[in-house]
Amino acid sequence: MSHANRNFVIAYILLVGLPLLALAGVLKSGRSLNAPFSVDGAWKLDAGAAHASAAPCTDFLSSVSNSPLSISQSGTSLVINLGGKTTTGTLAGKTIKAQFVDANNSNTTDCSGPSLALTATLDPLTEPRTMSGRLSVEGCSSCAPMEFRAVKQPRPAGGATR
Amino acid sequence: MPNLFILVLQVAVVLTACRLTGALFKKLHQPRVVGEMFAGIMLGPSLLGWIAPHFSAYLFPASSLGFLNALSQIGVIVFMFLVGLKINPMELKKESHAAVLASHVSITAPFVLAAFLALYLYPRLSDDSVAFTNFALFMGAAMSITAFPVLARILAERRMLSSRLGTVAIACAAVDDVTGWCILAYIVVLIRAAHSETSIWMTLGGIVVFGLVMVFGVQRLLKGVFLNAYEKWGHLSENRMAFMLLLVLVSSLCTERLGIHLLFGAFLMGAIMPKEDRFVRYVLDRFETITVTLLLPLFFAFTGLRTNIGLVKGHEMWMYCGLIILVATAGKLGGSTLAAWMSGMPFREAAGLGILMNTRGLMELVILNIGLDIKIISPALFSMMVIMALVTTFMTTPILNLICPKELLQGAPDKMITKPVTAPSLAVHETETSVA
Repeated sequence: MSHANRNFVIAYILLVGLPLLALAGVLKSGRSLNAPFSVDGAWKLDAGAAHASAAPCTDFLSSVSNSPLSISQSGTSLVINLGGKTTTGTLAGKTIKAQFVDANNSNTTDCSGPSLALTATLDPLTEPRTMSGRLSVEGCSSCAPMEFRAVKQPRPAGGATR
Repeated sequence: MPNLFILVLQVAVVLTACRLTGALFKKLHQPRVVGEMFAGIMLGPSLLGWIAPHFSAYLFPASSLGFLNALSQIGVIVFMFLVGLKINPMELKKESHAAVLASHVSITAPFVLAAFLALYLYPRLSDDSVAFTNFALFMGAAMSITAFPVLARILAERRMLSSRLGTVAIACAAVDDVTGWCILAYIVVLIRAAHSETSIWMTLGGIVVFGLVMVFGVQRLLKGVFLNAYEKWGHLSENRMAFMLLLVLVSSLCTERLGIHLLFGAFLMGAIMPKEDRFVRYVLDRFETITVTLLLPLFFAFTGLRTNIGLVKGHEMWMYCGLIILVATAGKLGGSTLAAWMSGMPFREAAGLGILMNTRGLMELVILNIGLDIKIISPALFSMMVIMALVTTFMTTPILNLICPKELLQGAPDKMITKPVTAPSLAVHETETSVA
């Protein structure tokens, strides 16, 4: 083997062979890592009917509870769309928290254009995944929070597989 | 049914934005494609949707994006066919030691570094529906890709295609792209097979059979149908051009059906086409104009609409983004430079090769879109990787000017780093500058 060829073989082992071994090690050690629970996708909301029917925000809560819920997830950061309103939220362990603030209504005590808080707990063991939580109107003491349960919808065929 | 008025308006706005921004970037001595990539992002939620949300919602309503995507995907299919067409496997066989080592290191170095980075990013930017192995392999493939067409364009503009640096760079980029796409195909198959009723062995068997049929069967047919006809008449009839397009589409459909992706079929069809220089030039001339000027800008716009830089908020997210850029650059630029230098290339030349290999451009966007489609990367990570693609592509020309200034190219022979080689004709032509 010529000098140049020997150098080439040594360089190849150092720069290609060893990194490939390192790659195998990384892939093996990474298997023990835990990522946040997946909540990405569309959810079907099933809201409880029992809340103060005379409260000024009844119509609002009812309309929201019948709206589709969709979540776009990047780790623990969430972008949540509920009834056409979009906000950011967080996922901490199994708990999802988000707040929908009505930018057009700065009066926090006004129940007719309220800010909505969403708090939910994920059940990661069910298949499909479910979550249960409550929607509450911020700054409107006469509005009782509304309990809800949501079921993750299957992804459309041929689409995402995450 | 699509709203034709909105669709045509979208195309007009995208075309205008891309041409204007592309021209502006040309003035900044950047390849036009970098400007077009920026234009796409400007039309998305990162700028237009942020400063004029109502106008953005009117111009790009969610219901219209399917049609825009369909048009842009047709463009990417043809583009991938052209990329495959330009890659000449015979050239790869003539690689020197420097090229072999540099090309392999320029894949393994960014790949391994990306896998290490994945250890850090997986718990932060992914979720438990993505297996770590798939996540790490995807990050590796995405970081090790090189924008073969942009690289060829930069070399052509600098008249370096026939130089030693140019030939090594082209060979390395071709190897990188072929390898990167093979790895990506493997990941896509793994992910799709996990959610499919067809067993992975059936899928893999189908892919092997398809590949063999294409390489040992269809390739011979192509020579007879296209190259012989071209050599006989000096041109191809419209029927033959239509047949060529049909073969691209059928090949794309086959790979999609086999569970890989449409684009692999288009790329493979291009790769097995005859490689006679004048024939390649002729086919490129027929397909490039409409693809580059009309359809690819739609792909940039569609990518821009999916890129939301607003998701990269807070110093933590920007730190992740910075890390991604750092690792991508260190792996590609550093790895290629080191390998070429260890193979005996002068350091400046080796560094020039490193910076050229660090160009990612449109190829990166294609891969990232596939990753987002199959949900292996999250929207925030997608946006960070798009920023990385833009930064690494943008930095190429200025750093190359610094490392390999034009005066050096025209300097004394002992300083010349573009020493002509006696290698046979290149896969990419000096005059070829239009493909993004």
